[in-house]
Amino acid sequence: MRPTGISFDSFTAEARVLETRRARVWLLVLCAVLLVLPFVSGPWLLGQLSYAFITLIAVYGLFVTVGMAGQINIAQSAFVGVGAFTAAKLSGLGVPFWIVIPAAALITGAISVLFALPAARVKGFYLALTTLAAQVMFPIVILALPMSWLGGLVGMPVVAPKLFGHSLGGPKEFYWLALLFAAVATWCAFNLPRSRLGRALRAVHDNDTAASVMGIPVTRIKIEAFFAGALFAGVAGALTAYFLQFVTVSSFTLFASVWYLGMLIVGGIHSPLGPILGVAFITIVQEGLHKISNLLLQSDSGIGGGAVFSLSSILLALCILFALIFEPRGLAHLWHTTKTTFRLWPFPRN
Amino acid sequence: MALGAGTILEARDLCLRFGAVEALKSVSLSVHAGSIHALIGPNGAGKSSLLNCLSGFYHPWSGAVLFQGKDIGAKSPPARSVLGIGRTFQGIQTYPSMTARENILTGFHSQMRGGVFSALFRLPHTLRQEEAFTERAEEIIAFLELEQDRHRTVGDMSYGLRKRVDLGRALATDPKILIMDEPMAGMSPEEKGDLARFILDIRDHFGIPVVLVEHDMDVVMDISDQVTVLEFGKVIADGPPEAIANDESVITAYLGAAEPAA
Repeated sequence: MRPTGISFDSFTAEARVLETRRARVWLLVLCAVLLVLPFVSGPWLLGQLSYAFITLIAVYGLFVTVGMAGQINIAQSAFVGVGAFTAAKLSGLGVPFWIVIPAAALITGAISVLFALPAARVKGFYLALTTLAAQVMFPIVILALPMSWLGGLVGMPVVAPKLFGHSLGGPKEFYWLALLFAAVATWCAFNLPRSRLGRALRAVHDNDTAASVMGIPVTRIKIEAFFAGALFAGVAGALTAYFLQFVTVSSFTLFASVWYLGMLIVGGIHSPLGPILGVAFITIVQEGLHKISNLLLQSDSGIGGGAVFSLSSILLALCILFALIFEPRGLAHLWHTTKTTFRLWPFPRN
Repeated sequence: MALGAGTILEARDLCLRFGAVEALKSVSLSVHAGSIHALIGPNGAGKSSLLNCLSGFYHPWSGAVLFQGKDIGAKSPPARSVLGIGRTFQGIQTYPSMTARENILTGFHSQMRGGVFSALFRLPHTLRQEEAFTERAEEIIAFLELEQDRHRTVGDMSYGLRKRVDLGRALATDPKILIMDEPMAGMSPEEKGDLARFILDIRDHFGIPVVLVEHDMDVVMDISDQVTVLEFGKVIADGPPEAIANDESVITAYLGAAEPAA
């Protein structure tokens, strides 16, 4: 529900995401804090945040394909990989990063269309299987191509991005670069639901038979859902390439694809806020468990390394299970209901 | 049946089979501009099959479907929607996760422009277009008296309201004819009254002819200009409601021999 005392003079003003002046001020404060963070924090936190920004962009892609259009995709990591290898190849050819990143997005989008074609005919589990095929094919294809093309088993080094002769490869500079793209991706993800394509995606998700009778070309919209999702994956992939400064097929596994899905589900698949909350939640829990297990290993508790690592995996799985049991619609839904409760207080939120 | 003046939608000798079942046996139908045309008949008479042939879900084995004099037999459902054949559904076929206004806005899809990039970057022309079409959606919302519910999620609405949203979405496709499959089924008398009034207004104010399948005889006799009666896949009578109500074969086949309809 909306806060009180807000009036509009146009429908586009009504569709604003940030409804109140206070919300806009808070966003500005957040941006300012994120921008000045590199001056006060160490490289560890900057690296973590940069990686979280990249993950967020990839999960936004899944939000479009899976959350909005309802087309299951368990090959997001392979699409991120396509973006990464494209970026590695192009940067090796001396292309500047501000061309490499959009180009990686477009090429990844184009390749995703190939794997979106089955979505025209199959749904649900069957579509999950065809996207799984994309994930499995990705390393096979890269390894089968000649070494000189994409590096094969060895992988490819990536030239650090440069702007006006300054390298953006350092932790501070890369952090700003990742922040910029994460901000643009966030803006795009919040724009999509308020658009013609966004409504068509949700119509196909809710009832594709009715959608087709209402003049929505369902097959085309499903393909556009994969294309749009892969654009995000391509940007995430190019940034991953610049972040790691080296790409190999082993960085883009089915495991990562499943994690992206897990983050989306924990955060909430139906709101663009979901990816933010999901990535933040899982990253914080993961890193928290990592710290605790390191402490355990350094202490004289006598617990072996193997036990600590499996315990931390089990705890992480438990966190996700609890999040799903107590809020199956994701943390985004919890956020919205909490906000409504406060707005209606002291009256009950039925 | 020849193509008469003012005929907007015509079915000629449609035949349709499902295995051994002959759903339609040489069915012809012509809908005149500005009229409300009811299709009635017992269960399994072929009413829904006929509607699905008109809106493109089924392709008849033989015969032709003509819209504004042109054969549209080969066109897909979305292509027919773009041509101007609007459709509402039996039961609930709205988009439950979207608000009433968003449901109606989806109806404008083929009239709006813009793909992935205009959606992601909310370009100026996207904004102008959103403004214009939201304005039109609001006109439909005002017509259907949905002002209180425009931002409610359709999944949380009552049956009658969802049917109204369904109708609003069909109106947004800018139809030249509207096909409604059992619009009144499962409604309370008040909801039926409201919907009957909307259907009459659609004919009178928008000038859109309506083809409807309906089981409620009172409604059919009250609002329709023309009634076609189907039984076992065949047309057994066709004419104005008064004539149908007194037609011997219809009375025995459908309305019951002892009690002519009101």
